[in-house]
Parts: sequence; structure tokens; C-alpha cells
Amino acid sequence: MRKTLISMLLLVSTAALAQEADSTSTDSIMNALVDKDKAEPVIASFKSTRLILTSTTETIKKNNLNFMVVHRFGDVAGSGGGAETLWGLDNSSDIYIGFEYGLRDNLDITFGRSKYEQLLDLGLKYNVLKQTSDNSVPFAATLIASIGLKPYKVTTNVFDDYSNRLSYFYQAIISRKFSSRFSLEIAPSFLRNNLPFPYIAGNERNIFSLSAAGRLKVTKRMGIVVDYAHPFSKFRNDSEAPKFYDPSAAGIEIETGGHVFTLNFSNAQAISPINYLADTESKWTDGQYRIGFTITRVFDFNRGHKSTYK
Amino acid sequence: MKYIAFILLAGFGMNQAGGESYVSKNARISLYSKAPLEDIEAVSGKGVSVLNTTTGAVAFTVPIKSFQFDKSLMQEHFNENYMESDKFPNASFKGKIQEKFDVSKEGTYPVRAIGILDVHGVKQSRTIPGTIIVNKNTVRLTSEFTVQCKDHKIEIPRLVFQKIAESIQVKVSTDYTNYQK
Repeated sequence: MRKTLISMLLLVSTAALAQEADSTSTDSIMNALVDKDKAEPVIASFKSTRLILTSTTETIKKNNLNFMVVHRFGDVAGSGGGAETLWGLDNSSDIYIGFEYGLRDNLDITFGRSKYEQLLDLGLKYNVLKQTSDNSVPFAATLIASIGLKPYKVTTNVFDDYSNRLSYFYQAIISRKFSSRFSLEIAPSFLRNNLPFPYIAGNERNIFSLSAAGRLKVTKRMGIVVDYAHPFSKFRNDSEAPKFYDPSAAGIEIETGGHVFTLNFSNAQAISPINYLADTESKWTDGQYRIGFTITRVFDFNRGHKSTYK
Repeated sequence: MKYIAFILLAGFGMNQAGGESYVSKNARISLYSKAPLEDIEAVSGKGVSVLNTTTGAVAFTVPIKSFQFDKSLMQEHFNENYMESDKFPNASFKGKIQEKFDVSKEGTYPVRAIGILDVHGVKQSRTIPGTIIVNKNTVRLTSEFTVQCKDHKIEIPRLVFQKIAESIQVKVSTDYTNYQK
């Protein structure tokens, strides 16, 4: 009797199980097939290759060209600003035209020219590490090496030795995308001016500095960006005339699909790190801050489009 | 002894009822959207699918990040701005094929699957048409359907230069192999 009961129960439960197996078996097979914890590289820590002052860890992809126009107007307030100069819009303390071309997805060659010191810069930007979704690599790292040249004529003999026109800039950028909205980066750098700049007795040729910058997205396409750099320089700390200040900036970034615009305020007059790390003599509280903008546009030179919609 | 036999039978019966499963780990899923500036196209070869040929149960899932675009920038915008693949990493369909088809006989069977399409975290009940083609030793499923952006809360902003269209055409093509546990 008991045996029969148990066997009946078994049969009934089997039938019930079999019906459920319909959808659950599909689910369980699906679960078995899908790679749950496949680490993916984190994309788009930043929308652009530079924030306001500092470059980001992002590189331009292979065969893409990034064209940049960066502008810093004159002082908003203080003696050089006010209504007479339309709050600085009449003047430009620096204009930068730059190109970045992707040799590989993670390696760019960069070239640009600043109004400030007429500086020409040529460099490489190499994305060494990508942050991964499973945090096995918790941050992205990019290295920058560039050389700067001041080509202008002078009446003094400081440029008799041609190498005095050259500067070298090396930077390691470490960034982390904390969420889809929030990314931060820090960037230690080393700047070597063969001729100390500005040329004042006692100024150093070598400057180490540390930059920190971040972005907080407000909407999918608009974010707030802040940027700060501190040069570790005894000369700059101690100098009374001129006085030096840490370059810093804040602004908004707008992406419109292909273009990225930045509108910002900054006390730095110069756009290239070779210039602003060595020579930022403007003080926020004296009205010596300026409106600036960055426009970037990416052009894609990858060969002809073949339809993939089959 | 008897019990053991029963338990074995029970297990066996379950397998029978579960029917035959066919699977694919490289379903090809392509997207097409006609846009004013340039048409937007992408393809993924990383769809995962399960088809139960006895019950007609069918399931698909595809990682959004696996879609490859010609232009890397477009791919980035697709993930970041439109599909938000950080939050919604996969698109999926789970449903049941309504028509009978026989994988032991060669032929072409037009079918419809009724189920739930989950794109951008928004679930929609859909009836999706497709075709099952049985050849010597392959089972292929193809399908073509349209996804309306607004049905899945995919926002198309007014201030972008690369506008995507209101609707995205999707093509699916899968070759299944018999699933060995």
C-alpha cells in the first residue's frame, strides 16, 4: 500500500515537473550558454580627448582625425576686462589649433600650434591600460610624450643655442569611470624647458606637476567639467614678482554627435600644458579669469562602407 | 529497487517532456536605421539562442556592446547615449513558436513567435514573424522585424547632428546545433 502511494506520488510529481520543464529548461540552457562574467573594457570614460586644461585617457581610434580649436579670451574683469573689452571677448590670450590622428586604436600622433609663445607641439599619446567592467583593471592609463618648439625670432642671444627653443613634456594619465555619469582622472607630469620659462634668474628648467580633473554628466550629452593643476616648483612658490598661481578651470561640456563643445572659465592664459604649467600668472580673485571654449570634431577615414545589413 | 527504477523513470520522463533543444552561440543580429546624414548599420555575431523543437520555446539574448559599427564614434554613441548599455547590457526575446515544424524533415516553415521583447530595459509583447529552414543537418531560423525607439524609451534628442531614425530594423539569422548536455 505504502509502496503504491509513493510510486503514485512520484508519478504525479514527475508529470508536474515535466510541464514546468518546458520553459525552465530553455532558461537553464540559456544561462549555461551566456558568459555571465566576461570582462569588457569600459568605454567612453570621457567624451573627448581633452577636458579643459588636461588631456583625458581617451584616444582617437585608428584612421580617425580629431580636429580641435581651443580658445581663451582676455580677462573677464580686473584692469583688462569689463565692458570696454566686452568682458574679455575682444582679446584672445591663446588660440590653439590641433590635430590628433589615430595610428592604432590606442595610439595617436598629435600636432598643434598655440598663439602663446607661438609654440608648436608634436607628440604621441598611448593608451596602455583599459579599465574593465569586472574591475580586474580598476582604471585606465594613458601616456603622453611631446616636444615643443618656439620658432619665433628674438633680438637677444638666448636662442643662439637652437636647443633652447625646445621643451619636453611627459604625462601619465590615470582615470576611472566610477559610474556612467562620473569620471575622475589624475595626471602626474614632468616638463623640461631647455631654457627656463619665463626667463627669470632662478627659474627652474624641470617642473614636476600633478593635475586632477573630472566630469559629471548632468544629462546624457551634457556634463560639468573641472580641471586643476599644481606645479611642484620652489621658484614659483617663492616668486613675488611675478607671482604664480595654480591653473584651474571649470565649465560645461556638450556633445552633439561628432562634435564636443566645452565652454569654460579658467585663470590659465595658455592652452598647452608646456605653457600653462610653466607660466600661469593670473589670479581668479583679481578678475584675471577668462572665458574659453573648445570645439572638437572627429573625422573618420576608415575605408568605404560595406553594408552589413544582411 | 523499485524506487530506484521509478526515480530513474521520472528523470527520463522529464527529459522526454523537455524535448529537444537546439542552441547557437553565434547568432547573427544586424541593425539598420535610415538617417538623414548617413544610414546607421551595425552587426553582432554574438547572439545566444535556444530553440526547443518539441515545445516551440525560443529565446534570444545579445550583448549590446557586441554590435560592431563602421565608425567607432557611432558605436560609442549607440552604447552611451541611446542604449545605455552600462545599465541595460543585453537585449532579449523570449517566446513560443505558434506553428508546428519538424526538424527531421527538410523544408521551409514560415512561423510566428509570440513573446516578450526586452530592449533598453523596456519589455514589449510582440508577435515576430520568422522562417525555419531545415536542411540535411542544419536548422536555421531567420527573422526580420522593427523596433520603435519610443516603444523602448530610446530617446532621440533634438540637438544632435547624427540623428537616428524613429525605428530600427532588425535582422536575425541563426544556425542551430543540437544541444548535448
